Amino acid sequence: MNEVVHQHQQSQPETQRSDSREPVALLPAVDIFEHADALMLIADMPGVTRDSLHLEVDNNVLSLEGEIQLSMPEGLTALHAEVSGQRFARRFTLSHEVESEAISARIDNGVLSVTLPKKDNHRVRRIEVKAA
Amino acid sequence: MFGDLKRFDTAPSQRLDWFRQLIDEVFPDGRAADIRAVPRGSFPMINVARSDEAVHVYVFAAGLAPDDLSIDIQDNVLTLRGRREPVAGNDEQSRARPVFRRERACGEFVRAIALPDGLDAERAEARHANGVFEVVLPKREELKARRIEVQVA
Repeated sequence: MNEVVHQHQQSQPETQRSDSREPVALLPAVDIFEHADALMLIADMPGVTRDSLHLEVDNNVLSLEGEIQLSMPEGLTALHAEVSGQRFARRFTLSHEVESEAISARIDNGVLSVTLPKKDNHRVRRIEVKAA
Repeated sequence: MFGDLKRFDTAPSQRLDWFRQLIDEVFPDGRAADIRAVPRGSFPMINVARSDEAVHVYVFAAGLAPDDLSIDIQDNVLTLRGRREPVAGNDEQSRARPVFRRERACGEFVRAIALPDGLDAERAEARHANGVFEVVLPKREELKARRIEVQVA
């Protein structure tokens, strides 16, 4: 599913596009941890489908955005809302060791998993201590 | 629709949750809180809406399969129970690896929410898609909205 990550090597002017269009964006809860060869990012985005998810790496910034897709009948009146928004959005700055061409992602039951592989020369190498 | 619901959301976004919670603790506003109210950011989050025929409960439980959530209703209290497994990477073997953020709730949870009276639990239905459970509880016949025709005198 590499095709969901769009590359923008050209640094574009910061337009605040996402902020001005829709002021209410929910911040998804994330786990981030490190493997020997990759950084892993797990984000809770319930209601977001593969089609409504937008992942982007622009100028070393990883953006996660997703529209919440709920099939709701017409004429509903809200009684109680803990999720008040239609969209999740969060951004992270990547370090230079991440191979941004090789980022892959999948979304399953509303949980987004992003694998950020490290460049070869940044992978962990164990240094053997030789006997004297 | 829930995006328009500002009266339940005094903070502009979840970004201010920790700040709101801090303020709530330091300066309680003196108003009585709902007995079943929870701080924002609890897992799973719940939205409730009503139509003329039914009450719809949306449970935002990312990562739960349909079998992972049990939904019980007694009188008008809906109880949600379940367990969310930690993601791979939290197991013993990788625990030695650095973790930078751990914001996602995992483990057992139980949440209860009071619904309006007069729902027909026998005809309740639940659906699941993309980590969101929708529970539809029809209103009892005698409580449904009814249009009263005005008859010509």
